[in-house]
Amino acid sequence: MKVMIKIAWRNIWRNPRRSLIMILAITVGLWAGLFVSALMFGMMQTRFVTAIEQHISHIQIHHPGFLIDKNLTHSIPDWERLRNQLNAESGVRAFTGRAIVSGMLSTATQTRGITIVGIDPAAEAQTTGIDKNLLEGSYLEEGMRNQVLMGRSLAEKLKLRIGSRLVVTFQNVDGELLSTALRVAGIFQTANIMFDEQNVFILKSGLAEYTGNEMLVNEVAVLLHDHEQAATKSEALKAIYPDLSIRTWGEISPELSYIQGMGQSMMLVILAIILLAVAFGLVNTMLMSVYERVYELGMLMAIGMNRRRVFQMIILETTFLTFLGALTGMALGYLTSHWLGHTGLDLAPIGGEAMLQFGYPSVVYPMLETGFLFQLSILVMVMVFITAIFPTIKALKLKPAVAVRND
Amino acid sequence: MIIKTENLSKIYDEKTMPVKALNGVNLEFGEGEYTAIVGPSGSGKTTFLNMIGGLDKPTSGTITINGANITHMSESKLIDFRLHNIGFVFQAYNLLPVLTAKENISFIMLLQKVEAKQMNARAMELLRQVGLEDKANVRPAKLSGGQQQRVAVARALASKPRFILADEPTANLDTQSAFNLLDIMAKLNKQEKITFIFSTHDQRVIDKANRIITLVDGAVHSDESRTNR
Repeated sequence: MKVMIKIAWRNIWRNPRRSLIMILAITVGLWAGLFVSALMFGMMQTRFVTAIEQHISHIQIHHPGFLIDKNLTHSIPDWERLRNQLNAESGVRAFTGRAIVSGMLSTATQTRGITIVGIDPAAEAQTTGIDKNLLEGSYLEEGMRNQVLMGRSLAEKLKLRIGSRLVVTFQNVDGELLSTALRVAGIFQTANIMFDEQNVFILKSGLAEYTGNEMLVNEVAVLLHDHEQAATKSEALKAIYPDLSIRTWGEISPELSYIQGMGQSMMLVILAIILLAVAFGLVNTMLMSVYERVYELGMLMAIGMNRRRVFQMIILETTFLTFLGALTGMALGYLTSHWLGHTGLDLAPIGGEAMLQFGYPSVVYPMLETGFLFQLSILVMVMVFITAIFPTIKALKLKPAVAVRND
Repeated sequence: MIIKTENLSKIYDEKTMPVKALNGVNLEFGEGEYTAIVGPSGSGKTTFLNMIGGLDKPTSGTITINGANITHMSESKLIDFRLHNIGFVFQAYNLLPVLTAKENISFIMLLQKVEAKQMNARAMELLRQVGLEDKANVRPAKLSGGQQQRVAVARALASKPRFILADEPTANLDTQSAFNLLDIMAKLNKQEKITFIFSTHDQRVIDKANRIITLVDGAVHSDESRTNR
């Protein structure tokens, strides 16, 4: 076997230019494929993490009626008891109780429907990190009266800036329409423009003051340490609060779980397509190599090299060519993805705004898992075997008596 | 008796355009013979060598080598038979270009699974016998045509065959190289008693042969033995 390895290794360098071109093709193909896959996976993962940590959290708790009609009538009974329960839960990283009403926002020139979210600033910051998404102005604090946070895209559409006045109109628990004037205290931007355009944030205590009602909570968002515990925690809470609607992130936003599942599969499909394209080049290279050595192969079979060794030789040559390119391509793909996974790749100049519309941040952090590299190695080995078949069949069909005359 | 053919015939393209390359050839070869098979182009010389070398199968007749009937042997058994019983020297491209002279000779012993130490010693001994011990680590591209053919002879001997088949071994060589090669082969024939069978047009080869078989149109035209050469 050692001699066959030596012969195969030296054979691929008989035509160094051709071998280098083939190796380069495999390297570039795998490098590009890995990087694109890591980019896509990173985008999906970032979308997932952003959606959970900025918007929907791991678990949401509502009064069942709230899901049909978002108003203060459908508030969570015994919110204090639930708050104490969640404070005592070990797997809970943070949670916040919100008072949410649907309403209208009016300026001097425009009116539009929005969702008014009354928050506890400290709890909200811990749960969604909205304070970190401020672009200008200041975050809400207890005691700040008649202040509102709104998204950048909404502010631009309504031509509002820090300090601008606006009026919000909504219903209290008694069904009475109330209006109150607010000033823009801060402008934020999350990774989801649609969310930013649909929601404005005020103090929960302020909303209670406007409505004349006690401080009600009709949505509780819970952030866990481990997202895989969402289902378990949800079931545990349902057992204690059977009258409440308690949903996991997968139930609130099913497309997020599809993204999780699809990510790796899509990466493998992309790479399989690239490998298929590369395989055609490799088959061509190996076939040419066999055609050029018909006499030599005939001579070898004449002197006593059996077909198993001929097969061994060609498989080894194909393996060396492929793995030189594959290992280099995978190393470059890994290093590129790893480096950009730390620094991030800003896609804003090439469609970052459009990405925000769909909930994808414009700065992407490519991600590659070690397990994926292992799966890719298996794919490469399969490709080696399949591409070696055609030239091997060609070589094994040679008749020594004919081949040795083919000079 | 090493080789015996009985009523050996070969027809190519039987169904479309039959060509009778060999027509009822009956020949025997003994140990230590130095035989030249001559004849015009298309007389069946190479076909006959391919038959007794186990590289091709006859249409009819039998071939017996060392008591074994190889006529209907399977492909895999024939490969193994050739490895252990027959040496080959072709007109050109005898050597693997990616192996050195010594590695080319060792390769055949490797196929025979000879132990490494023994293999190395024998390879060097054979290189010495063909006068190329100083070229052991040189690849064929850096050897002259004559030197390559001498390495090919050494490799043919490495497997300790009963006989060596040489198909136009001097065709691509200059005069001096051809003489050197033929001298070595003649010496090995006398010393080692290895049977050499040549297919050749080269008068220099014919002059050194102790038996000349002439084939014409696939049949034996004459079979002449010479005691002095």
